[in-house]
Formats: sequence, C-alpha cells, structure tokens
Amino acid sequence: MSSPAKKILIVDDDHDFAEAVSSYLEAQDYVVVKAHEGREGLRLAKMERPDLIIMDIVMNERTEGFFTVQELRRTAELKAVPIFVLSSLYSKITDFGVPPDSGWLAHDEFFSKPVDMPALAEKIRQRIGEGEAKA
Amino acid sequence: MSEPAERETIVIIDDDYAIRLSCKKILSKMGFRAETFEDGAQGLEGVARLKPGLAVVDLKMPGISGMEVIARVHEMDPEIVVVVITGYPTIDTAVAAMKCGAYDFLPKPFSPDELRLIVNRGLERRRLAIESRRAEVERALLKRRFVTFVSHQLQTPLVAIHQYLSVLKNLEHTEDAAAKRQQWFDRCLARTGEMQTIIKDWLTLARIEGDTLSRQRVKVDLKRIVADILATYEEMAGQNSVSLEARMPEDACCVRGDRNCLSVLFDNLIVNAIKYNKPGGKITVSGEAREGEIEISVIDTGVGIPERYRQLLFDEFFRVEDEGNKKTAGTGLGLAISKKIVSEMGGSIAVESEVDVGSTFRVRLLAYRAQAGEEDNNRSPDELTSEKDTDRGR
Repeated sequence: MSSPAKKILIVDDDHDFAEAVSSYLEAQDYVVVKAHEGREGLRLAKMERPDLIIMDIVMNERTEGFFTVQELRRTAELKAVPIFVLSSLYSKITDFGVPPDSGWLAHDEFFSKPVDMPALAEKIRQRIGEGEAKA
Repeated sequence: MSEPAERETIVIIDDDYAIRLSCKKILSKMGFRAETFEDGAQGLEGVARLKPGLAVVDLKMPGISGMEVIARVHEMDPEIVVVVITGYPTIDTAVAAMKCGAYDFLPKPFSPDELRLIVNRGLERRRLAIESRRAEVERALLKRRFVTFVSHQLQTPLVAIHQYLSVLKNLEHTEDAAAKRQQWFDRCLARTGEMQTIIKDWLTLARIEGDTLSRQRVKVDLKRIVADILATYEEMAGQNSVSLEARMPEDACCVRGDRNCLSVLFDNLIVNAIKYNKPGGKITVSGEAREGEIEISVIDTGVGIPERYRQLLFDEFFRVEDEGNKKTAGTGLGLAISKKIVSEMGGSIAVESEVDVGSTFRVRLLAYRAQAGEEDNNRSPDELTSEKDTDRGR
C-alpha cells in the first residue's frame, strides 16, 4: 500500500514564480497547491492540510507573508506544518531585528529568491520525505 | 486677548537700557514676543530657554563678548538668525560679525524702520532655511523608499525569469518541461518587457525631478496628441473589450509645453483608463477650452477608485490593489509622472471616482496664448493638425 502523495502549498503573489517552483516540485512527485495572497493561502492551508508551506513575504502588503505565518501558527491544526519562507527583498531575516529563534516569525527555513531548486527540494525531502511515498 | 498660536520669539541682548526698551517696544508692536537681556550670560540662558527665531545681539558688551554670544547661540541652534548691533559701524566689525555667523548688522543709532526691515528679512531667511531643510529630509526619505521599491520591482520579474530558467535547466529531460518550454519562454519575455517599462518610467521620473527632461515650450495641440494616443491604443482597447471615444471641441486645444511630456501625460491617463476598465466599458476623452484654460478629461467606466486611496493616487509606487485588478501590470509610477508633468507646466490634475462606476481624471492646463504681435484665433482645423505646428501666427 502506498500512502497518499505529500502535499505542498505555495503562497506567492508572483504567478510565474509559483508556476516555476510548483512545476519543479510536481516533477519530484509532490502534489502542489498554489495561492497568490495571504488570505487565500490561509484558506487553502486549512482546506488542503498541506505537509509543508512555501511562503513569500512581500505580497500586496509588504509584510503579508509574515502575518500569514503568524496566523498559521495560531491555527491549532496547522501549528506543526513546516513553513519555508522565500523572499527576494530580504536576504536575511535579521533586517527586521527579529532573532530567528524568537518564535515571532516562526518559520522553519529561509531561502532568498531566486531559489536554488535542488537545494530547496533537498530541504523539503529532509523535512517531509519523498513526494510520492514509495510502496 | 487672543494671540496667534505661533508667535515668533525674538531675544534682544544689549547692555544699553534704552536700546532694550525701544527694541522690545518696536518688536512687540510687530506682534513678536520680545524678551530682553542685559548681558551675554543671561542672554544665552534666555536663548536656551525661549528658543527664539531671531536674536539681536550687541557686539560691545561687558562680560561675554557679542562675537562669542553669536557662536554660542549657533551651537545651540544654527537656524537662529542673529542680527548684531554695533556702535562701531566699520567694515571690519561687520565682516567679523558675519564671519561669526551673524546674518546682518544694525549700526547705532538705527531707526525703528531699519530694525523692522532687518528682523523681517532675517525671519524670512530662517523660514526659507527651515523649509529647504525639511524638503531635503523629505527628498532623502523618498529617495530611500524609491530605491527599495524600485529594487523590489525589478527583482520580482528578474526572480521569476531566473526561476523559470533554472527549472527549465533542471527539468531538461522530462516531458513536462518540453511541453512547458514554449509557454515559459513567452512568460520570460513578458517579464523582461515589464522590467523595461519599470526602467523607462523610472528614468522619466528621474528626468522630471532632475529637471533634465526636455523643457521645450512650443505650441502643442492636445486634440492632435489625444487623437494619436487613442489610435495607438485601439488594439489594446479591443483586446480588453472597451471602446474609445474622443469628444474634443471643433477648435484646437492648444497649450504651450513640451510635446513629449504632454504625450506621456495623456498616454498614462488613457492606458490607466483601459487597464482599470471593465469588459464592455468605455473611455471618453473630452476637451473643453474656457477662460484661458484647456481642460481635458479622461473618463472611464471602470472599477473606480475607493475614496481612501484617492489621496495616495499620485504618490510614487502607489497602486490600487483589489480583487478585480490582481493582474494589472504597471509600475505605480504613471500617475506620479503625470502629476509632475502637469505641475511643471503650471496646471492641475484631479480625480473624481465612484467605485464600480468609473473614474474621471481632469487635467487643466493654461491655454496657449499668442506672443505679442501674433494673431492666433480662428485658425482652420487643417492648419492645427500639423505636427510641426509651433509658434507660427497667421
């Protein structure tokens, strides 16, 4: 028996970026769902219950991603879902004066955009395993 | 008795009682709050406490010298204007006082009018200095914001292109990639186009701000400009299922200005009207000449602009984002550029809008006036459509 494929939610307002990343991950046998803004991401997260979330920061609002991460962390059933934050504007999170371990941002990994796809895929694999769990 | 809230304070430091008394009287009558001190030490204490806009300082005083008072006042606040009173009106003392940072000097004896004149001039200078410093700070802030935003705006498409290319490279051997290759190349091209537009807009704005944009002042017929732009966007309007209409007066609508700038201005307004319209919508560009002014309105039947955004509309990088407009491409610089162009020409731009009904952008510019000796009325429409039409009278 094979368990269901691992699911990843990408929240990014740039449709092209989301399309490129999702195509790569789909090729790795992950199931990918896309949202293009924070609220939609939150809604999809609750509905789809992804195994991992990839989150952009600067969307319509400059810090939309941060607040979406906070909101996800406040949601009981989503608390434990790993969140990978991807951003091009901030090359390091300390720009915000928030220590990464303060729990405020509470993401699990940070990648700066453009992202090295094999490296991202490797981190995802380490975190949630292969896309389609082999029989 | 009611007093103006921000009465300027003036400090007078002089050991001569008669001078203190008369200065206080004259300045109080002018509506200032005048405070007098009889020596440098008390005077400096008074300056520190009262934070005056201007100080009148006698150069020759017992104790701390007038020169030193000037220096110490400016240590506290370099924007306090200092006027010195000198009983030895020689070039030497005047020059020395100026070197110490005094704004001007009053040779004893002086008349009330001389005092009034010099105080008013000094305060005016202070006002200008403060204003220009504030403008500088604002410009610096804007510049910082500008750089951050433009970087992000350029980085966003660049990241998307990079991501497509890197995925294409990594997916080289899959069928999926082959199927998507063509589509993704098109997207990459579209995104490079986006970057080019950003850079173009950015440069236009920088040129307007740096005053290096061509400041040609020729006779330009807006009727002609509007017609040209509408013709250019016929196709884009068709793709968006909106119709374009020009409702311009019979006579020419001539203004004196820069042809390119005016084209950019109406181009921006018309493109916005198309982009923020709804399928089946309409765009009307109407013109009216009245009382020495030409008013051109770009009227759309589009999504409208919520009231809370209207004030921000002409700010750099501001874009109305809502559900309906998610995919509207743009740099957020168009209206900022438009406003700068209009201001530069001494005109005005305003917006009226109703959500879901549409928006009207109204541009008012001074009508072209023939130079002395020229007779410019009643010209036939044929003549006015000439692109080379300049200041030629008939």
